[in-house]
Amino acid sequence: MESAATTNHMEIVYERPVTLTDTPMHYCPGCGHGVVHRVLMEVINEMGIQDRTVGVAPVGCSVFAYNYMNVDMQEAAHGRASAVATGIKRVLPEKYVYSYQGDGDLAAIGTGETIHTVNRGENILMIFINNAIYGMTGGQMAPTSILGQVTSTTPYGRKSDLNGFPLKITDLVTQLPGAYYVTRQSVHTAAAVRKLKKAIEASFKYQPLKKGTCFIEVVSNCPSGWKMTPIEANAWMEKNMFPLYPIGDLKVPKQN
Amino acid sequence: MTTLSEPKLRFCTGNQMIAEGAVRAGCRFFAGYPITPASGIYKSMIDLLQRRGDVAISAPDEISALAYCVGASMRGFKSMTATSGPGWALMIETIQYALMTETPVVIAFVQRLGPSTGGATQGAQGDILLSEFCTSGGYTIPILCPSTPAECFDLTHKAFAWAEMLRTPVIVLSDKEVGMTSECVDFARLSNQAPPTRKHKSDFASSKMYDFAERVEVPEYLSVGGMGKVTATGSAHNKSGELKKNDTETLEVLHHLEEKIRSRRSELAVTTFDGQAGAETLVVSFGITARTMRETVRNVRRLGKKVSALSIQSLFPVPDEKIKEAMVGISRIVIAEENFSGQYRSVLAPLLYGKEVVGVNKIGSMITPAEIEEQIV
Ligand SMILES: Cc1ncc(C[n+]2csc(CCOP(=O)(O)OP(=O)(O)O)c2C)c(N)n1
Ligand code: SF4
Ligand SMILES: [Mg+2]
Repeated sequence: MESAATTNHMEIVYERPVTLTDTPMHYCPGCGHGVVHRVLMEVINEMGIQDRTVGVAPVGCSVFAYNYMNVDMQEAAHGRASAVATGIKRVLPEKYVYSYQGDGDLAAIGTGETIHTVNRGENILMIFINNAIYGMTGGQMAPTSILGQVTSTTPYGRKSDLNGFPLKITDLVTQLPGAYYVTRQSVHTAAAVRKLKKAIEASFKYQPLKKGTCFIEVVSNCPSGWKMTPIEANAWMEKNMFPLYPIGDLKVPKQN
Repeated sequence: MTTLSEPKLRFCTGNQMIAEGAVRAGCRFFAGYPITPASGIYKSMIDLLQRRGDVAISAPDEISALAYCVGASMRGFKSMTATSGPGWALMIETIQYALMTETPVVIAFVQRLGPSTGGATQGAQGDILLSEFCTSGGYTIPILCPSTPAECFDLTHKAFAWAEMLRTPVIVLSDKEVGMTSECVDFARLSNQAPPTRKHKSDFASSKMYDFAERVEVPEYLSVGGMGKVTATGSAHNKSGELKKNDTETLEVLHHLEEKIRSRRSELAVTTFDGQAGAETLVVSFGITARTMRETVRNVRRLGKKVSALSIQSLFPVPDEKIKEAMVGISRIVIAEENFSGQYRSVLAPLLYGKEVVGVNKIGSMITPAEIEEQIV
């Protein structure tokens, strides 16, 4: 039996931030979505901006984001998250506004919205979960699927002549003058998670400066859609996705 | 003595059978974007067409998916895409473009619960009005509605025939239950014929893009990349396909777009009538609910009640003659459909004048035999 004395000396070093609801997540074991949710909500908690933050979720596996993220949340129609976020930010310019989208949502059906949101330099944070597949609808090829990748709609592997090339949309938006801070991160190790956290923190700190769009790609996984165990999935991601989608900053604000 | 062919049984979903029906009808081009409950058609078409060396491609959204199909069809390729409510909303622009340019195309629309993203895995028959009345100007779009996997095959096959012969977009309006449920299908009983194909022009020199004397005529096809110059536009145009305002010939073309379909509504009617002598109640249904209706009818007849039943496979153009025939001697009409307002009932209302009309309606789950039975007196 534990003595009262021992209990009193126990220090809490890690707990659920108040910005994350006490709800079991529906994500598959090993999925990156849950980790990104947690890190994002930790930052919002630590910066003390919970009451001033508004999120826009996509249609994709993260449709239930409102269930976990304890800030004002709206799920937009498929691909339209950054457009809805634009409307919100324009009428509530003092709020911290972010969109959270998958690769199908942001880089296929929402490509137009993505390009124009960044090109306008909309003062929001766009979080982009690139798992190289349409997770929610059962593992079809996404624009970010890599060459050779077998999905339910590329039974012989993705071929460039048939399906085109993987779309590096983060590189594309980096070119736009409205982009203020663009970075590519991941969540497969503790060190990677810490780096993502710093990137999210920086993005929210930049937002009141009204200097343009912050864009964070998270190279992530989809063990279910890829038909792999979580460990296999992370290994596959490191081996096949990182060379194509290298981790690191693509555009950092100029020091002045 | 009749010889019956050996049954060739396979366990298939309605979605797979739409794909099989399309390929049998000569479909050589498919473009898709994933969406539950229609993704099975996308996957099956990739599997079936790529194996044959035909084109099955992934689009970045439904707007592109349908536009790819229209482009391929402009060259004469039989083309299809598949979607559900949210994707359909994005396709409406290009459906109108296909209608206006008289380009055949088939759209498999597998309904789920709406509005908006609605319920991706919940069935519904809530898009009857949305699918039919989606054109500016209010043109008739032919709609076929299957209730079984075998019907998915037959009606998709027919949809290609209609699209080709009428030069217009045709919809196969399925639903989640029909699309995603696996059932036994006897392939030996399915058509092994390809349906007719549009007539192509042979005389290029004198040909106008849309050559017709009477509004009801379907002009011969001038395909893109062929011998004659093609001029197609989604804007109002004359018979040469030139953008015009409201001169007589342009208005004639606009009337023709509707008349070529409306004038053929008797030959396009597809219904199954199960009449009973002396019945005063007629039950009308379609799609998945037609199966519930057929079950109900079996049950109540066993109890000694008299009832007739009409399953409608061709929702549009409305098979008005078939409905009137089924109504002879009937005083009470029960219309069962899985939406809250009775969408098809509202379409049929003008035909049912003077009858007692009752709707069996529901959202969120399938209508049960007991719910229809309650309305059979
Ligand atoms: C207009 C429209 N088309 C298709 C869909 C179906 N749909 C729902 S989620 C999804 C893809 C999600 O993939 P992604 O954005 O990569 O997110 P993930 O699930 O992989 O996180 C699709 C195509 C829809 N809801 N709306
Ligand atoms: S399907 Fe893929 S993206 Fe969706 S929760 Fe499962 S692992 Fe994550
Ligand atoms: Mg994805």
